[in-house]
Amino acid sequence: MTPREHFISALMRQPVSLRPPHFELVFFLTMEAFGKVHPSHRSYYQWDQMQDSERLLHLNDMADLYIATAERYQHSAIFLHPNPGTEFETQRLIELVREKTGDRYFLMMHGDATFSIPDGTHMEQFAYRLADEPESLKAEAESMVVAALNRAERQREHGGLDGYALCADYCFNTGPFLSPRQFSEFITPYLAKLIQGYRQLGFFVIKHTDGNVNPILDQLVQCGPHAIHSLDPQGGVDIAEVKKKYGGEVCLIGNVNCGLLDSGTDQEVVESTLYALRNGSPGGGYIFSTSNCIYTGMKLARYDLMRTVWQKFEATGPDNLAPINNP
Amino acid sequence: MIDNPLYVAVLDGDARGARSAVEQALAAGADPQDLVSSFMIPAMDEVGKRFDEGEYFVPELLISARAMKSGMELLRPLLAETGAKPVGTVVVGTVRGDLHDIGKNLVASMLEGGGFKVIDLGVDVGPDKFTAAITEHHPDIVAMSALLTTTMPGMKATIDELTRAGIRDTVKVMIGGAPVTKRYAMEIGADAFSESASGAVREAKSLLNA
Repeated sequence: MTPREHFISALMRQPVSLRPPHFELVFFLTMEAFGKVHPSHRSYYQWDQMQDSERLLHLNDMADLYIATAERYQHSAIFLHPNPGTEFETQRLIELVREKTGDRYFLMMHGDATFSIPDGTHMEQFAYRLADEPESLKAEAESMVVAALNRAERQREHGGLDGYALCADYCFNTGPFLSPRQFSEFITPYLAKLIQGYRQLGFFVIKHTDGNVNPILDQLVQCGPHAIHSLDPQGGVDIAEVKKKYGGEVCLIGNVNCGLLDSGTDQEVVESTLYALRNGSPGGGYIFSTSNCIYTGMKLARYDLMRTVWQKFEATGPDNLAPINNP
Repeated sequence: MIDNPLYVAVLDGDARGARSAVEQALAAGADPQDLVSSFMIPAMDEVGKRFDEGEYFVPELLISARAMKSGMELLRPLLAETGAKPVGTVVVGTVRGDLHDIGKNLVASMLEGGGFKVIDLGVDVGPDKFTAAITEHHPDIVAMSALLTTTMPGMKATIDELTRAGIRDTVKVMIGGAPVTKRYAMEIGADAFSESASGAVREAKSLLNA
């Protein structure tokens, strides 16, 4: 089974091996790991000024870095962050990764077209629009979905992409930005349309949002994504509870506590990792991941520790704790 | 629940209603300070309470704060004439290296709604800038925000800088943000910590015995 097949099996909630597949939405520590700047952190403002041969060198370099990350850290999927993000260059990047790896990895990219939590500069304005001009906001939501699905149709024609990660964040650690009632009015109908549109085009869909999603989790699951990411314990999301309630409807991804990876003890990292594996894995339908991503500033050793636990999880089984507690 | 159109308008986030209620109350001879302290601040306190209890969400906070500001636009010149002062002055900012402003802006809005004068220094604010703002504006409180564990040390660096500049004792220090804890606040010598915007208003009032 290739990593891609392993990943798809988990998305389809088929029983897989004891050790679930793994990926991270982003692995930003590429300088530390490979001596290269992460593609998202590169400034290509002179892109159009380059000879195409130079552009291709950069695209190859980025493709190689994504592949190297997947190989070294045993990711089953690659989440491409095209830079520059034009459709043309995005497609060339997808092609390059496919040329170099064939169907070995599941390829995805950003695909959300719903309103996320606005940044601080725009939050007041957005809140005012919710109150003052709801119909205009809904029309904007609809047009965003239509544009995203039109782009997806073009990408399907071109081929190479397996799915989309929808990364609009909806929640703080304390709860959703919008009340569940407003969420059902301004987000859910459009998210459902977007997901169903992607699915009809043959794409897999992973819905990401960190924070406390509990009050809107019902709505998210009803929208029909293949998977929900990131099941953030810092937002009070308990993967055991989510598995019990929604494990029969949707694949679960994540839950290893980024806060603990950042500032907890090694033992706390091990415990969080084991909790996610033990409660997410049974019966399949779980993909191993942090509760956000491997972000800038995180210690690489902590990510290595988390992965060591995951590797030993398969070798020792969920009930044999001793070797895992001393990785 | 207070049976007053100004109170209800602020609670409901009705900016036009709040403005209209202020106009009518003033026309009827109401005392501007009384409108603020008897109806507007209690309405914002109730908004904060409902937020804490999960009944209100961030958009409701913001539109109530807008309704409060809408009424205050009419009242502020009148209050200035009478020499009335805000509950206190707060300098707010997100610490150096941190560009996140959602939490900081919410706290600023809620503090304004709570009757405070707010001086917002923005994001990526270094200790030198906090120190300069305190020297210039003489606030009662400086409120620092950080979303990242990697930028939290900027809070301690700022407090250390205030101490070095000899102005630490002139101002109360409040901190908050997703990774910030009460324990951390105590460790670095902050005077108060809050995990929510509405809590920040309560803490600020408590610091000033307001």
